[in-house]
Amino acid sequence: MSSWLDYTINGLIVGNVYALVAVGLALIFGVSRLINFAQGSIYLVGAYIGWVAVVQLHTPLPLTIIVVAVAAALVGLIIERFGLRPLQNSVRIAPLLATIGISFVLDQLVMLTFSPNPRALPSQLPDVRFQVGGGTIGPLDLLIAGVGITSALLLFVFLRYSKLGWAIRATAQDRDAAMQMGVDVNRVNQAVFGIAAALGGVSGMLVGMYYNQIDTAMSLQATLKGVVAEVVGGAGNVPGAVVGSLLLGLVESYGVAVFGTSYRNLFAFLLLVVVLVLRPNGLFASARQAPPEPLTGTFIAPSRPVRIPRWALLVAAGVFAILPFFPVSFYVLQTLINAWLLGMLALSLTLVAGTIGQVSLGHAALLAIGAYTSALLSLNFSVPVGLAIIGGGLMSAALGTALISPSFRLRGHYVSIATLAIGEIVSLVILNWESVTRGPIGISGIPPLSLFGYDLISATSIYWFSFSAMVVLALLQGRLLGSHLGRSFRAIRDDDIAARAYGLSLNRYKSLAFIFGGFAAGVSGGIAAHLYSYINHETFNTQQSILALTVVILGGLGNVVGAILGSVALVGLPEVFRIAAEYRILIYGIVLLLLVRFRPQGLLGTI
Amino acid sequence: MTDSAPEPLLALSNVNTFYGQAQVHFDLSITVGRGHIVCLLGGNASGKSTTMKIILGLVRPRSGDVTFDGASLLGLTTPQIVRRGIASVPEARRLFADMSVRENILMGAFVRNDRDVVAQDLDRMLTLFPKLGQRLSQRAGSLSGGEQQMVAMARALMSRPRMIVMDEPTMGLSPLYVDRVLELIRTINQEGVSVFMVEQNASLALEIAHEAYVLQTGTIVLSGPAQALKDDPRVRDAYLGGSEAA
Ligand SMILES: Nc1ncnc2c1ncn2[C@@H]1O[C@H](COP(=O)(O)OP(=O)(O)OP(=O)(O)O)[C@@H](O)[C@H]1O
Ligand SMILES: [Mg+2]
Repeated sequence: MSSWLDYTINGLIVGNVYALVAVGLALIFGVSRLINFAQGSIYLVGAYIGWVAVVQLHTPLPLTIIVVAVAAALVGLIIERFGLRPLQNSVRIAPLLATIGISFVLDQLVMLTFSPNPRALPSQLPDVRFQVGGGTIGPLDLLIAGVGITSALLLFVFLRYSKLGWAIRATAQDRDAAMQMGVDVNRVNQAVFGIAAALGGVSGMLVGMYYNQIDTAMSLQATLKGVVAEVVGGAGNVPGAVVGSLLLGLVESYGVAVFGTSYRNLFAFLLLVVVLVLRPNGLFASARQAPPEPLTGTFIAPSRPVRIPRWALLVAAGVFAILPFFPVSFYVLQTLINAWLLGMLALSLTLVAGTIGQVSLGHAALLAIGAYTSALLSLNFSVPVGLAIIGGGLMSAALGTALISPSFRLRGHYVSIATLAIGEIVSLVILNWESVTRGPIGISGIPPLSLFGYDLISATSIYWFSFSAMVVLALLQGRLLGSHLGRSFRAIRDDDIAARAYGLSLNRYKSLAFIFGGFAAGVSGGIAAHLYSYINHETFNTQQSILALTVVILGGLGNVVGAILGSVALVGLPEVFRIAAEYRILIYGIVLLLLVRFRPQGLLGTI
Repeated sequence: MTDSAPEPLLALSNVNTFYGQAQVHFDLSITVGRGHIVCLLGGNASGKSTTMKIILGLVRPRSGDVTFDGASLLGLTTPQIVRRGIASVPEARRLFADMSVRENILMGAFVRNDRDVVAQDLDRMLTLFPKLGQRLSQRAGSLSGGEQQMVAMARALMSRPRMIVMDEPTMGLSPLYVDRVLELIRTINQEGVSVFMVEQNASLALEIAHEAYVLQTGTIVLSGPAQALKDDPRVRDAYLGGSEAA
């Protein structure tokens, strides 16, 4: 039984680690108003560089720290120079998407180089613990605290007394004015990315040593925790990020003490959502201030959408409808079934992210809600599968909208953070709510798809079922976009302040978009549950959310036909080219990066 | 007017500027003589601030040229242009609100590397703007509008510029401060700094300017020595009429 003091020490140590990530995020946000979703990947890279240094090169600890900091800083500089600088004059959503793509690419590169299996990262420090009051503290705790405090002091002195530090602070406050003082903002960007990456990399190494284990799942967790800490402290506020991190560490540690380990992340994300909703500028900003998001400039790339004649769409739909009559292989049908399921998720996301401009990064949660609802309805209440799937769609619409609605007043990147957090919360609730969801064991023996009492077991019947569900949803969405409602959605996306001035109620329209989108995603999840017959809290994960986002951008944000085309392309092409599964995520990340850079309006154009 | 005018320090020639589809400048040509105060008058949305941004390289013209001391500024970045000797007092001051007054003023010397002389210049600013002396460690954002204008001017002077461009330096100031600011602009100019200023308040600006231009929806409709324009009835029409013509 550990004492409270132990939990406090643990909370502060973990908080120190978060601070190293969050301070970098705050520096970057301050200078370029960007949430760097690749920060966790740099942390991951840092951990693995540390592993190479310690285990293979046998470097002594001080040298290891320097090697990690320098190598991670280089990665940061490369990201800034080649990933983000070319996007300087792009639409506002572009850098955000680019950091997501970069994080996928980095994570996958690490996974392909080192394999996904966890590795031990020994700290090289003696394994002793000192008695302090009623708790204990070890040399590694002291090292982490020392690195945290030293970095904070160095950063303080740097920002306060060096010329570059002044330039960073001035740029963070007013980029144009700083340029007019002669500040080269590219240099400033480079500097903050380098510093942020060095701190993030060292943080990853320290965490690896703390738990004596590193694996590729660390990346997303670190990004999430860093973002939580940064937002709690106030985006762009460097001292705030430190305090936010310590607070987050303590909240988590005490939460674990009371409720158990599996609740750790739940507390982090609940803290985030509460802060976002009640004090979107963090705990230390005056509440009046609006979140520091640029309010002008287009959010998504404007374009003239490719007009596809109605007959061509009909022909395409007809061909896909009669495809099973031809001698196509089971494999082709299966691939297309996956494309139709992803297509429904993409329809949902293209409406929410494209048409009304709420870039959701947690869309897989809607799949999960639909899947669990449908599975439980059919298993526990013997609801016919067809109805259960519709129940899943309705539940996803209702619950998804209810969960996101407190965040409706957020804008831009903040929406993405909130949806990401809500997505994580859904998955954590599924994990912990064992009496209903069966927790980590998952739900098995889900009845197969059936319609009017007939089981749909053959690939052909499943194909038709999923295809028709998608076509119906697509037609509905097409009607919606052409209506007055669709125009209001786009007005809100393009200028929510003006839209409000015209008397549009933002909450109502955002709710309507999430209800419709939630239903489509829930149906997709419901079908998937009966198709897979087994689901657990990890079946629908962030990777799928990002895959859906890539699909939607590939097709053209807001574009219904584009969403379906994007799904077929991203599911089908890797099959056509027989790309091995472990390279696929890497390819998706690269596709996302290339799109953002060279064709932000997607294949068919944004609507 | 050319007999006394020296070779121009700054020249915009046939500048056409667009924001997307919308054209903001139509064949704009402006020259600022060495040692002169030149004023650009015009109503709201006539394209005054955009002219400043063109000079500073914050916006690129689609055609035309901008030269400073005989060399083109096109293709240079804003920091490079600042290093050539152009300082600015932006619209609405744009101080670094969370930095102290001292830090703001010193940011003006960002392009300089002579620390000792910079320290002397800071003292000089405090004699030029005595009120700032007691405010040095205060947050710049907490100053009054007039005080902020003083800081913005001191900040611009700290780079030892050959020319200062100012966007509506008297906007939103009390009459007392307006006089003070105009007086300071004259002082700065007498120390050898050329001034290009954008103003809506024509009668005041013409008091201190050598030459003036009147801009109406992106076109120069009048120009000449300030003395002559001051008595021109069309000046009043032009700068009041500019706003509805947008
Ligand atoms: N970044 C921009 N993007 C698109 N249009 C712009 C932008 N900046 C200015 N404009 C438009 O260009 C025109 C000229 O603007 P500018 O700011 O140069 O006018 P101004 O004469 O300084 O006006 P004011 O007296 O209000 O300061 C206006 O119609 C304005 O709406
Ligand atoms: Mg202006």
